[in-house]
Amino acid sequence: MKKYILKRVLTSIGTLLAIILVLFILMHLMPGSPFNDEKLSEDQRQVLYSKYGLDQPIVVQFGQYVVNMCKGDFGVSYNISKNTPISQLIQSRLPISIRIGFFAVLLGALVGLILGLIAALKKDTILDTICTIISVIGVSVPSYVFALGLSFTLGFKWKLFPMLYSTADELNSSVMPSIALSMFTMASIARFTRTEMIEVLGSEYMLLAESKGLSGRKLIFSHALRNALIPIITVLAPLIVDLMTGSLVVEKIFAIPGVGSLLVNAIQSNDYNVVIALSFIYSAMYIAIMLVVDILYGIIDPRIRLGKEGD
Amino acid sequence: MKKRILAFVLAATMAVGMVGCGSKSADTAATTTEGGAATASASSDLNVMIETPVESLDPQQATDGTSFEVIADYTDGLMQMDSDGNPVNAIAESYEVSEDGLTYTFKLRQDAKWSNGTAVTAADFVFAWQRAVDPEVASEYSYMLSDIGQIVNAEAIIAGEKDKSELGVTAVDDYTLEVSLNVPVSYFLSLMYFPTFYPINEEFFTSCGDTFGTSPETTLSNGAFVLDSYEPAATAFHLTKNADYYDASRVQLSGLNYQVIQDSQTALMSYQNGDLDITLVNGDQVEQVSADPEFQTIGAGYLWYVSPNQKGVKELSNLNIRLALSNAINRDDVTSQLNDGSLPTYTAVPRDFSADFSADQEKFKSVCADDAEAAAKYWEEGLKELGTDSITLEMIVDDDDAPKKVATVLKSEWETTLPGLTVEIVTEPKKQRVQDMQEGNFELGLTRWGPDYDDPMTYLGMWVTDCANNYGLWTNSEYDSIIAECTTGDLCTELDARRTRLYDAEQIVMDEAVIFPIYTAANATLVKANVSGIDFHPVALNRVFKDTVKQ
Amino acid sequence: MSDVATYIPTEDDFKLKNNTEELGLDSNFASQNFWKEVVIRFFNKRSAVIGLIMILLIIVFAIIGPGMNDYTYDGMIQEEKNLAPRVEWLSWLSFFNGSETMTTSVGDIQVNKYEEGGLTDTYYWFGSDIYGRDLWTRCWEGTRVSLIIAIAAALIDMIIGMSYGLISGFFGGKIDMVMQRILEICNGIPRLVIVTLLLLILKPGMLTIIFALLLTEWVGMSRIARAEMLKLKEQEFVLASRTLGAGSFFIIFKEVLPNIVGPVITQVMFSIPTAIFTEAFLSFVGLGIPVPKCSLGSLISDGYNSFTTHPYQIIPPIIIMALLMLSFNLLGDGLREAFDPKMKEM
Repeated sequence: MKKYILKRVLTSIGTLLAIILVLFILMHLMPGSPFNDEKLSEDQRQVLYSKYGLDQPIVVQFGQYVVNMCKGDFGVSYNISKNTPISQLIQSRLPISIRIGFFAVLLGALVGLILGLIAALKKDTILDTICTIISVIGVSVPSYVFALGLSFTLGFKWKLFPMLYSTADELNSSVMPSIALSMFTMASIARFTRTEMIEVLGSEYMLLAESKGLSGRKLIFSHALRNALIPIITVLAPLIVDLMTGSLVVEKIFAIPGVGSLLVNAIQSNDYNVVIALSFIYSAMYIAIMLVVDILYGIIDPRIRLGKEGD
Repeated sequence: MKKRILAFVLAATMAVGMVGCGSKSADTAATTTEGGAATASASSDLNVMIETPVESLDPQQATDGTSFEVIADYTDGLMQMDSDGNPVNAIAESYEVSEDGLTYTFKLRQDAKWSNGTAVTAADFVFAWQRAVDPEVASEYSYMLSDIGQIVNAEAIIAGEKDKSELGVTAVDDYTLEVSLNVPVSYFLSLMYFPTFYPINEEFFTSCGDTFGTSPETTLSNGAFVLDSYEPAATAFHLTKNADYYDASRVQLSGLNYQVIQDSQTALMSYQNGDLDITLVNGDQVEQVSADPEFQTIGAGYLWYVSPNQKGVKELSNLNIRLALSNAINRDDVTSQLNDGSLPTYTAVPRDFSADFSADQEKFKSVCADDAEAAAKYWEEGLKELGTDSITLEMIVDDDDAPKKVATVLKSEWETTLPGLTVEIVTEPKKQRVQDMQEGNFELGLTRWGPDYDDPMTYLGMWVTDCANNYGLWTNSEYDSIIAECTTGDLCTELDARRTRLYDAEQIVMDEAVIFPIYTAANATLVKANVSGIDFHPVALNRVFKDTVKQ
Repeated sequence: MSDVATYIPTEDDFKLKNNTEELGLDSNFASQNFWKEVVIRFFNKRSAVIGLIMILLIIVFAIIGPGMNDYTYDGMIQEEKNLAPRVEWLSWLSFFNGSETMTTSVGDIQVNKYEEGGLTDTYYWFGSDIYGRDLWTRCWEGTRVSLIIAIAAALIDMIIGMSYGLISGFFGGKIDMVMQRILEICNGIPRLVIVTLLLLILKPGMLTIIFALLLTEWVGMSRIARAEMLKLKEQEFVLASRTLGAGSFFIIFKEVLPNIVGPVITQVMFSIPTAIFTEAFLSFVGLGIPVPKCSLGSLISDGYNSFTTHPYQIIPPIIIMALLMLSFNLLGDGLREAFDPKMKEM
């Protein structure tokens, strides 16, 4: 077991390095440079390139970047906030994105679970269809329309929640963004719960449990739901990463100082270091969560032989 | 059993996650609450909406309008703008110009203090200006000192040929600053309110190391306000009135509360909710507010134009084709599509700019007008000369709201007026579009230019041979000589004659259809009725809040 | 026992029999039975049938819709901007009589721009947009574009993802390890970054968007294919085929593939709406289909800007999109249950 985990951690580090390399290459393929401004002359651009080491071969840049990264130095921003260290730029923004994402996951998973459960238990009835429609609507309306709708009704018309994110009132101003963000999770979880529950409810051990005389609630919660939950976690895991690393749309509409809008602005203004650092955080979180899920999986289900995966 | 372990592990992970988040957010709360958006309202803080975050608070590094506005909120230069945009004394108490117009001597006021208590001295200006031309700093606006300001040795220093200490600016004593120029520059004083020329206290700058301008602690104020909460690229930050400002009695506001809102509808709703005192309105929402007395349109000074690539594209090197394209546009349709108060423009210098240089919009109507018939005639002629009956052109456009609207209208009008023409629109992020244009890798490009100083030369200087911003790679020796005459030649001091010659230059640009001017941009703005005294300018500082009153 | 002659194996006994015709008959019979059952199960599920009908209806409109009036998708009429929906025979309905209530900062006002502009004989069924283009035509044109993009992306990602997953799952060991790491790398980079970078590098247009969607979608498909493969490859029929000397690729594509058609089709049905949705997001970020062409996504993001001014501009594309998403999801659900024998027991 220990050996397996060690091996996985090592390969994960390798994967991360590969991801950074891919990003480096992609960045260099990207047209334009951080310094393509109308008022900057060719000479000045050259000065800036050499100042930031962008005139060196990509391999050298990559090596340098990895070395600096190990020291905790992610470089500086070229455009979004000139010469600001990336760590300083992200430091205050990441927690905000993580918190809103966390609320959204919690809300989405909870509501999705309930909807999916109802749909599965009342399969092929009107209730099932209604639950399906509710959960599908969550993913049929683009989140920016949904977010603006929320802002317009709850914020503007009824004045229930602040329309603009405020660091002074974090709880209230997180409500609408979290709801807007949770829709996708809710829909995915609802659909997945439904499928899994139907499968579990149809299995033989449920029949056995039923014939043993177990009744309603106990049967569903302690036998069925628990078994259905395991695969749901695998679906939830990548969603968590997606949500916690911020969303452009929701951040734009509620004026949230998160990392999602930072990433998009950075891509569009060729702010290489910001893009690479944010992508790195995303990738690291993603790989870490997947690793945890895999290990947990191994613990619960001995049939999955960890040592020889895929065999 | 195994499942129970799983449940436990999961619960534990979640709990740890929550604690992690909790403590992290608590930290942020502690560091940022002072500057929260909602801290304002009751007092006479002005709540200001901006579209983009500040890019840099380093006066010599900043390039965008938002950064300039904020820097100018808390920093004064030698000069400031009066409500008409004329330069008036700020840190300078008085100034003298030598008879030949080559030396400016500024006497600084002695009561101006930095917010750490030290006096603002001539050395602070020298330090800042030397930074501006220092090749290591690579300031984007260094040409304000060289090409435009014509300060002695600036050009050589930027090119790395001389040391920055040789810049033609000296601190005669603590309160006397002497500047020497290569040639007389008629608008030199108006450069002094441009943030690139703002002072920096060297001692303070050195003590900040690399962190200068990244937090309230690493900025110094000598102006009307003091930055008291700020983070790099913050979406909300705050400035308070500077009690130690030498002109403190003039400032009525208790502070400025900036809020970055990228979504125009959120901005409008927040304004209507009372969270903002001044906001920009997107053209799509203008119908909602056009009847409102609080609504106004304010000229932004930007000229939007289409630049044809004359060197790389055979069809566009044909004058008739260019004239046809320029005349086939119905500029009223474009501005009514934008619906934000933008003005149709038929001159190479935008409207309402530099003592209304372009007041006569019909001056070039023989070559630039909304004239579909003339356009069709030029077109036919041009096609004949080229020996073809259809042309396909590609136009590159920024992927922002306004350029896309303009491009959509242009495409439609060009294709209906000029038979055989197909225009393909390619949207690109701005950096990429600028690179493509700089490298000549385009056919038609929709671009804009904002004035750097209050003189038509900020536009006309662009189309000289080899200028980096002469995207069309057009060259005309007569034009070059007029421009040279007006920048460094004999006409520098004879203002009336210079103006006439500039019109001659403009005439050449228009005759040759070097660019197709489209419109002068404006900002549709809402300002609360209880707020007065905001100065709006098309040049350098777009908004000044020193005289603003909020009742 | 003793009277049974000892059988001496001949060479022929260990050859693949190559009797495709006979086998064909057999499998044909079996599959007919299977498919018939699938069809019956599918049509028994009402919601799935409704989904299918709605999809067909939307496809029909996407084909004939743009031709139903005289407007073109890119023809602008300056005088007829922002007109509210107006349908001749529905004008008794307040939504379709060409008037709209506009919320302005000085109070709500009721306007009918048709009457103000003297356009007595003009009818925009879904209204006109900010450029004076007919939204009806644009909506169906956009639906067409979105469907083409989504279906193309889903089909190609099915082929790529499926092959990748099947191969990875079948060979296992080192190959699987390497292939899964590559997958992890692809998945570890935020989608937004890959997609936007790609759209910046390549020239914007329909093919680029399809390619971008492809890049992010194939991972899910390959996962499913791999999981199914891991499940199936231990089964007896694979072993049997292998014993008979079938090659790896024969087993993968001829033996296993037909058995996972169900989950694969289901996944395709779910990845179509995802593709439509992702395209909508790209439009919002400004990386959608080039103007003046349109897709559902670009229509929604255009309408979004007028959401508080002229809400009717965003309603039609949103409804079409929601219906499409819902229908594909219902259809997918129906197919999954029709294909999965386990569901049958319920």
